[in-house]
Order: sequence, then C-alpha cells, then structure tokens
Amino acid sequence: MAKVMIPTPLRQFTGKQDAVAVPGSTVGEVLNALTTQFPDLRKQIFNDEGKVRSFVNVYLNDEDVRYLGKDATAAKDGDTISLVPSIAGGRR
Amino acid sequence: MIRIEAAPWASMLAHAQHTYPNECCGAMLGSTGEGVKLVREALPLENAFEGAQAERYELRPEDLLAADRAARERRMELIGIYHSHPDCDAYFSQTDLKNSCPWYSFVVLSIRNGEFHHANSWLPNVEQTAAEKEELSY
Repeated sequence: MAKVMIPTPLRQFTGKQDAVAVPGSTVGEVLNALTTQFPDLRKQIFNDEGKVRSFVNVYLNDEDVRYLGKDATAAKDGDTISLVPSIAGGRR
Repeated sequence: MIRIEAAPWASMLAHAQHTYPNECCGAMLGSTGEGVKLVREALPLENAFEGAQAERYELRPEDLLAADRAARERRMELIGIYHSHPDCDAYFSQTDLKNSCPWYSFVVLSIRNGEFHHANSWLPNVEQTAAEKEELSY
C-alpha cells in the first residue's frame, strides 16, 4: 500500500494520524480510498466536480503527478504520496 | 489564534526588510494545541515569481514539500505561510485569496520605507472566496 502524508491542518479529519497507508494501484485510486475512509477530507482535496482542487499538487515521492500520469500514475507498496499546496499572492 | 515566538518573528522581520522593496515569503513551523498555533521556527523561502516581485510572490511546491518534511523531521508541524507587503497594509488581497490554501494561516507583514509597520494573520476559506482575520500575537 502507498502511504499518504497528511498535512497538519488535515489531521483533524484522520484521527490525528500524520500518515495513512491506503490501498490502490493508482494515485487516483489511493486518494479516492483515502477520502472514502475519511469522508471529511474529501471537501478539502476535491471540488464539487470530483476534481482535485486547484490549490492541491499531488506528489508521488519527489515528483508532481501532473508530469507523470496524473490520476492514473501507478502507485506501489512503499510509495509516498504528498498533498502539497500551490501558494502565491501579492499586494495587488 | 496564532502566536509567533521571538526568534522566528525576528527572522521573519529580517527577511522582509532584507528583500524590501520586493515581497518575501516563507513557511512557519511549530505546534498546535488548545486553540493556539505556536510558531517556533520561520523558514525563509525563495520568492519564485518571475516578474515584478515588489507586487507578487510565488512559492515553489517542491520548497513547501521540503518545508513539510523538515517540520516532520524536527517533530514540528507546518502551520502557516508568511509574506510581506512592501509600502502598503497587511490586508489579504484578491491575489492572495485566489492563490491561497485554506489549510494554513497566512501572516502578512506590512513593510513601509523598509521598516516593519504592522502585521495580520488570515484564514482563507476552502472556496478561496473570503479570508477571516485570525488573532495574532508576536
């Protein structure tokens, strides 16, 4: 099973676990299984259309899955999936 | 509420003053408990915006991933992001809001003429349509 690293503010939805091992053969399957196991997480990660929110980058180990196979990127035992926010801004 | 210890606060101010008149940005590491987020370490990060950095900042996701890993290694938590607003107030602009993430506190430092003026902390909502002011102490 791949392991999903849970960002601090989302641990309130995972029983305070900072990492969760979840079954699934692709990154998409893992994230769906994660949010099925912890339904309150779903709104934080997916929008109403079921797409990963625009501010969420999904990393498989050290690679952004957008540059791999996106949701269909294969996930295997020992892989680490991280949810990394996309952040920018400015005074204007 | 978010409370920033003296050492990380000094580091954030120095970072903001050093990058003036451009915007700085960084991560805040610490702990959470009993309704209080305590910032124990500031991690300055590079402003990766390719353009006028006096008005914009951008964090590289890989830098945030490294910050999260650093927090875990030090048994701390990534609890917020800071950036500066040169020569204007510490509001949460539409640009800040549209490029935010609701998981974290966003501390904005107002720097006027190179000197610290005031700061605010903001909590954007998940739809990125509004940000609530958060009590901040430093």
